[in-house]
Amino acid sequence: MTPHTTVPQSTGPRGSQPGGGQHQHAGHRQARPGGQPGGGLPRLFPASGAVPVDLRTHLSRFAPPPYLGQPGRLIPVLRAAGLTGRGGAAFPVYRKLAAVAEARTQPVVIGNGAEGEPASDKDKSLLWISPHLVLDGLQLAAETVDSTAVGLYVHRNGRLQDRLRVAVAERSAAGLDRVPVEIIDAPPRFLAGEESALASRISGAPAMPRFKPPRVFERGVAGRPTLVQNVETLAHLALIARYGPDWFRGAGTADEPGSMLCTLHQADGRRDVVETGLGTPLGSLVHLGPGTQAVLSGGYHGAWLPAADAGQLTLSNAHLVPAGSFVGAGILAALPADRCGIAETARVARYLALESAGQCGPCFNGLPRIAAALDEVASPRPDSRAVTDIMRWAGLADGRGACHHPDGTVRFVRSALHVFAGEIQMHAQGRCVDPARRPFLPIPAATAMDAADWS
Amino acid sequence: MNGITQSTALWYASRATGVVSLLLLTGVVLLGVLVNRQGRLPGFPKFVVTGLHRNLSLLAVTFVAVHVLTAIADSYVSIQLAAIVIPFISSYKPVWLGLGAVSLDLVLALIVTSLLRARMSRRLWRGLHWFSYAAWGSAVVHSLYSSTDLQHGLLLYTAIACWLSVAVAGAWRMTQAGRDIPREGRAAATLDMMSPGRGPRRGRRDTPASQRPRTDTR
Repeated sequence: MTPHTTVPQSTGPRGSQPGGGQHQHAGHRQARPGGQPGGGLPRLFPASGAVPVDLRTHLSRFAPPPYLGQPGRLIPVLRAAGLTGRGGAAFPVYRKLAAVAEARTQPVVIGNGAEGEPASDKDKSLLWISPHLVLDGLQLAAETVDSTAVGLYVHRNGRLQDRLRVAVAERSAAGLDRVPVEIIDAPPRFLAGEESALASRISGAPAMPRFKPPRVFERGVAGRPTLVQNVETLAHLALIARYGPDWFRGAGTADEPGSMLCTLHQADGRRDVVETGLGTPLGSLVHLGPGTQAVLSGGYHGAWLPAADAGQLTLSNAHLVPAGSFVGAGILAALPADRCGIAETARVARYLALESAGQCGPCFNGLPRIAAALDEVASPRPDSRAVTDIMRWAGLADGRGACHHPDGTVRFVRSALHVFAGEIQMHAQGRCVDPARRPFLPIPAATAMDAADWS
Repeated sequence: MNGITQSTALWYASRATGVVSLLLLTGVVLLGVLVNRQGRLPGFPKFVVTGLHRNLSLLAVTFVAVHVLTAIADSYVSIQLAAIVIPFISSYKPVWLGLGAVSLDLVLALIVTSLLRARMSRRLWRGLHWFSYAAWGSAVVHSLYSSTDLQHGLLLYTAIACWLSVAVAGAWRMTQAGRDIPREGRAAATLDMMSPGRGPRRGRRDTPASQRPRTDTR
């Protein structure tokens, strides 16, 4: 497992710098005979050599994408591999592919690189470092569902988009791609990558979620069945097509096989993207020493875990779901012991409230109220009714939106009230662990003001 | 003829339920306007308006049903059964009874489409729901000319109150139409209301959101 420096969003991506702390996990390093990339890690990033990986290096390492010559053939392979979506929902990939492949209308295939979650860097890093694995996966997915309309949906980021366009052009010049790939702009919104928001945006409307059903794989872009897969999922798919299900299962657990990219925020402020097998102990990913009071797992729709509890858990839904959290898109943030968890949660809750698409009453009425009440809890000697108000409003918002934005925000806020109960007691006495309120978790600088910001 | 006898009971019942139906339908229209503007009744939570709108419309249909059936059953004037739903075929006052049939058909269509609302596109449902004004309007004209009850006295004032209230509600709805908060700004507006002064500030339209100053976070 090699930590990679993260790719900044607005200043343009840099290459990763291999090296740094080398973590090893038993059983994940056995090399495959014949010098081929083995079951060891990293799989998606190069273990050594120049980054970004150019087409020549990519071809010499992986050979051209192994087209199967007929739609549908990859589906049982992916089923055996047990690959699930790496965008956060962990939905079985083969089921979506099968549903789209069965559709009678010409389907659309979209690689989803819209990483709206401010605490996540893994999709940007993957697209920058190993674009050809993602583009291989996109072609193989298109072949599997017999589609000729293929797009890659990424945030406006001049350098990354330019590089992807060059990569796409090089591939079609080399005759690797069977269908042309269009690069599509995603607005800089938290919800831009939500499947139905994505379908809406590509159909020409604002990137706002809608009620399901119909699911996007039934009716998506322009009313056609649409396969939306996270870019990391596509990269895994490209490798499974080459090396098979058993190779993929060489990492991870029996129930949650394979590896995944994680964005790690250490308590000392370091921010890394690493690839690790599912089932890795959280304590070997983020430092859980006395300098860490809690770990946020699953990102801003996830949940806080006390550092002591996190030390007993592994990166798997089998462990995290019972603890009230989930693996999600692999975001882990270790909150330093000298920061206020309530103030941090309030700051992020405010950001999440402002990212509401303003469509569902429980969301655009509830989340701002929750955020404002959490601000109150974060202030010295808060109104004692604020916590009760939050719990009441949380119950009214939970599960009542077109998308999971209210549910996820409520999960995040509830976990903070639980995990930082001691901090709340300190606030009641007018004290705080961090009166200076230094920000720790990343949030973007600006919020949406009008329709143009959603398209 | 005064006093309710066996022969006049049906006739009185039909007239009375007709008047109550008009009052109920007026109430449904007024509540519908309030639902549309996302308003609330003083002292009640928001869902009460929607719930009352739905339940009152079902109650109105019950009264309309009694109104129609008693009118048919009454032997004083003979109205064919088909004239209940097929407009303008009645031999007795074909135009004015026909408008009643139009109103009934529209109300039934509105209820059926609302019950099936989850299975149809929201735009179609909204479009069809505009016919509620036509349903109410034809019911009003029907009530005014089918009998002489509403043409004088206390019932005339009641009818005028119905017309005026719907006219005022309609005018209010039209003046409010431009005041919708666009969905992009709704969460920000609520947040601004909850913690004034720390709310987000509108950025310049030509500045991309990623480059706008953010003033709402501490």
